[in-house]
Amino acid sequence: MMRKLLAALLAGIFYLSLQTVPAEAQQPMITTEAWQAYKTKFLDPGGRIIDDGNGNISHSEGQGYGLLLSVLAGSQADFALIWTFTRTELLLRDDGLAAWKWSPGTKPHVTDINNASDGDILIAYALGLAGQQWSRRDYTTAGATIARAILARTVFQNNGRMLLLPGAAGFSASDREDGPVINPSYWIFEAFPVLDQMAPSPAWGKLRDDGIALIKELRFGPKQLPADWVSLKPSPKPASGFPAEYGYNALRIPLYLARGGVTDRQLLLRLRQATSGVNDAITTVDLHSGTTRTNLSDPGYRIVNHILACVVDKTVLPADVKQFTPTLYYPSTLHLLGLSFVAAKHPECL
Amino acid sequence: MKPSFIALSAIIAAVGIVGMKKPDYVKHVIQSVSPANEDDLAARSSRLSQQQPAFQAVGERAPVFQEIKRPSEPSLDTMVTAATASTVDESALRYFASQGDAARLQAEISRLKALYPDWTPPKDPLAIPQNEDKQLETMWQLYSQARYAEVRKAIAERQAAEPAWQAPADLLDRLGVAEARLRLINASDLKQYETVVRIGAETSSLLTCSEVDVLWRVAEALYWTDKVQRATDAYSYILNNCQNAAERLATIQKAADLLPSRTVEELLAKEKAAPDGTREFDSIRDDLARRFVAEANADGKIVVPPQYVSRVERLAETGGLASDALLLGWYYLPRGDMEAAEKWFRRARDKEDSASASQGLALTLIDRNAPLEAENVMYRWRDASTEAKSVYLAATANLLAIDPPISITAEVLKRIAAEVIKSRNAATAQQFGWYARALHQPQTAVQWFKTALGWKLDDEPSAYGLAVTYLQLDDRKGVAEIQRLWAGRSERIARLGEEKDASAATTEQLPVPGETVTVRRKIRPPAQATAVSDEPQDYRETPDVIVRPRERMSVATARGCRTTINPETLSPDAALARGWCLMELNRPLEAAAAFEVALLGSPKTREDAAYGQSLAYLRAGLASKAAVSAVKSPQKRERALELQKAILADKAVAAFDAGRPRETLLALDQLNQITPERTDLLALRGYAYLKMKRYGDARRIFEALAAIGNRDGQRGLAIINEIFHEND
Repeated sequence: MMRKLLAALLAGIFYLSLQTVPAEAQQPMITTEAWQAYKTKFLDPGGRIIDDGNGNISHSEGQGYGLLLSVLAGSQADFALIWTFTRTELLLRDDGLAAWKWSPGTKPHVTDINNASDGDILIAYALGLAGQQWSRRDYTTAGATIARAILARTVFQNNGRMLLLPGAAGFSASDREDGPVINPSYWIFEAFPVLDQMAPSPAWGKLRDDGIALIKELRFGPKQLPADWVSLKPSPKPASGFPAEYGYNALRIPLYLARGGVTDRQLLLRLRQATSGVNDAITTVDLHSGTTRTNLSDPGYRIVNHILACVVDKTVLPADVKQFTPTLYYPSTLHLLGLSFVAAKHPECL
Repeated sequence: MKPSFIALSAIIAAVGIVGMKKPDYVKHVIQSVSPANEDDLAARSSRLSQQQPAFQAVGERAPVFQEIKRPSEPSLDTMVTAATASTVDESALRYFASQGDAARLQAEISRLKALYPDWTPPKDPLAIPQNEDKQLETMWQLYSQARYAEVRKAIAERQAAEPAWQAPADLLDRLGVAEARLRLINASDLKQYETVVRIGAETSSLLTCSEVDVLWRVAEALYWTDKVQRATDAYSYILNNCQNAAERLATIQKAADLLPSRTVEELLAKEKAAPDGTREFDSIRDDLARRFVAEANADGKIVVPPQYVSRVERLAETGGLASDALLLGWYYLPRGDMEAAEKWFRRARDKEDSASASQGLALTLIDRNAPLEAENVMYRWRDASTEAKSVYLAATANLLAIDPPISITAEVLKRIAAEVIKSRNAATAQQFGWYARALHQPQTAVQWFKTALGWKLDDEPSAYGLAVTYLQLDDRKGVAEIQRLWAGRSERIARLGEEKDASAATTEQLPVPGETVTVRRKIRPPAQATAVSDEPQDYRETPDVIVRPRERMSVATARGCRTTINPETLSPDAALARGWCLMELNRPLEAAAAFEVALLGSPKTREDAAYGQSLAYLRAGLASKAAVSAVKSPQKRERALELQKAILADKAVAAFDAGRPRETLLALDQLNQITPERTDLLALRGYAYLKMKRYGDARRIFEALAAIGNRDGQRGLAIINEIFHEND
């Protein structure tokens, strides 16, 4: 009897937590003006997100971000546009995952058929949100198919932990001398409950918990920061063949943690302190020496540390960070993700 | 049209659902479409083994029919019924017509005809009235411009503005099909064949004669996903149903690219005769015959139906193209029919001499032990390619190896020697050594054996030849030095001189992994050479040319380094000179120590010293040390490359000898990065595969070698065949 009650209670909690996802999303968390400015700069009329910092190519990550931002901006039409491009141009792999790289100047446009797991997660996650928010069964079905493929091809157990391969090929223990190699910035924590809803599996919850635990443990060099690319053989270290740095990949980890509801004060403050540069910049860091590689002053990057300050101390965002003006694809995307999070969860910081 | 239309989609759909039983109607139409019978099936390759044999399902119940996921499209019957009540939307026709897009206009007409059999296409598509709904008009326009993502966006925008508005089913339907078509083509371009098959199965309306490109792509995807019979069915479908002559011809060509000749033969039977009696595939039958024979050139096990071979023979005899004769030569060669091969190669050369024809002819000549003519045939073409060069050198090695030696003119000997020196070919150099011995020119033999050893440090037969010759010259020191260098590596060298046993020298050459050209002869004991002492004149006339010792890197003469000195007492330049001097004396380890001192000198001295030290370590069999030395000073590009090649080759051989074939492959792979693989190393690769039991790979290598007449190749093949024979 007791057990039955407990089960019912748990089911109720689960149900409630699911409800919160669409409820939040129903209020557009990105203003029409900001979304319009973003689209004008980075969305091609044919539905591809242009990475202008990277030779104007497109990729599954960008398409995933574009889909997610469309949902957050409440724009069903833009979602349909970006999704159609993504589906017809990238979602072509035999295993149901997306090819990661698309170049405007080549034929065929896909120049690397390998996938990027964060791109796949973003696409499936956005499809899940869109399906719920706009009652579109076709979106949910497509999202579930991708989520199942992510489980089958990239989620794996290693030393008792549930982990994510950055791509289906090229990173596992059998593919690399120092494999498995992971990218901790591919853990998009907020996505896992939605993926679990579409493709139910205990792996998602474990992936989230083990990812957070792992990020806490990845402390390399004097600054005690995670690396963009990490080899887990036999114990975590920066992977060979990649710069040993807290770089453009890793700098979004705190944003994903915050958006994913992680409020561990000690962890967030540690990351914030280790990446604070001159004039409010955030830094990429050479992990061996602990020295700063680059000071990044774009508000799209700077918002990451301000969000941490907001989450732990309710510190208000500075004016130029509150304001969205598109610059380059990547920081501008992080900027909108950051702003939408503050608007939804911490309006007091605005 | 209709029954076969369903038939193909059912075929595709059926393969999308592996392991399911087919519903009765599907079984029925599959039977009606496919000409294949069960005997055929039994004969097909193992590619099919994972696939459910659809035809076996005939007559069985289909218990899991309900579970079959139907294609997402409504079935054709439903659509036809629905159409009777509604009018046909012809908007797309107008757009295609207004853009002058005849192909898509025709495709759309075919599509609508398939959907609505009673419908008649409008005479003037441009006269189709415009939609009064301007927004819908825009959507159709975007659709006709293949801007499908923007149509989706426009639909969503309108729904947001007018919640009651529904997009016309016809527009949604066509959009879905167009997107599926685009995805299918993109996936096909990226070789994502399972995706292609899946989309084909889900989108039956794409599988029509008006979309023959899609049909080809689906057929190709079926083939590459191991559904050969389904691929054949798809090509059959086109030939049974589609009328466009150019597309029918292209279908046969595409099918022939993939399918075995016997299956292509079945497809060719579907050809139509024109009223004037000409047959539509005549124009490609000759080409197909040539292609099948050409494909069989590469693999002696491919069976070509005899009518194709005789067709090419007829073409070669009547048409007079050298290329046809050449095809036949290369067809017969790997099948061991040397007589026929020689006939066709000669025919080809008579029409037009070429490297390929000469190579083929030379190989048949070597095979029937006529290397003198082979040398003559190949000489002109020796520089045409690396293959041509190795055939030429094989001819020379075999020529010199004929036992008892034959008389060779001075001119020919001269040109062979020049070529051997130019290409630094150890195998023929070694044979020159034996040839010189046979002609009682031991001094000349010494120089050739030394030369061979200089090019190929591990050439045991040359070392043995050198030692035997030293023994003959009573050069005890020379013998002892070789015995020291080869201690533990060659028993016959070690035992030389122990007992004056001539039979030791008559034993057959040990197989050396790395031998460039294996020669069919025994090592000549000195006694035998006397038997031919009446023929050496020609050879004697040219010793200077032939015997020109290889270029040496000596800086100092041998004088002055025989005594033992601690090289650290010398200046770098003196140490460098001493290093080269010690190399001359074949004392590589001491030389390496001297070069070590020279490494302290000027940049130029340092460069030479690093080079010298690498060579020294290589000679001492210490490849890994050589690799370290090579980077002690920046080397000139050619030198660095040469060192690297020598080091890697040595590593490969050493690893093989030490029973570590995996490392051998690694070294060979690295070597491959910087230089084309030499024939001898290719053989080594074959043996490494063999050791690792990678028989398929080994067979591939040995077959390639055997095809150019290489004995290692033939020997390797024999070993593999024996292994498989034993396993039977």
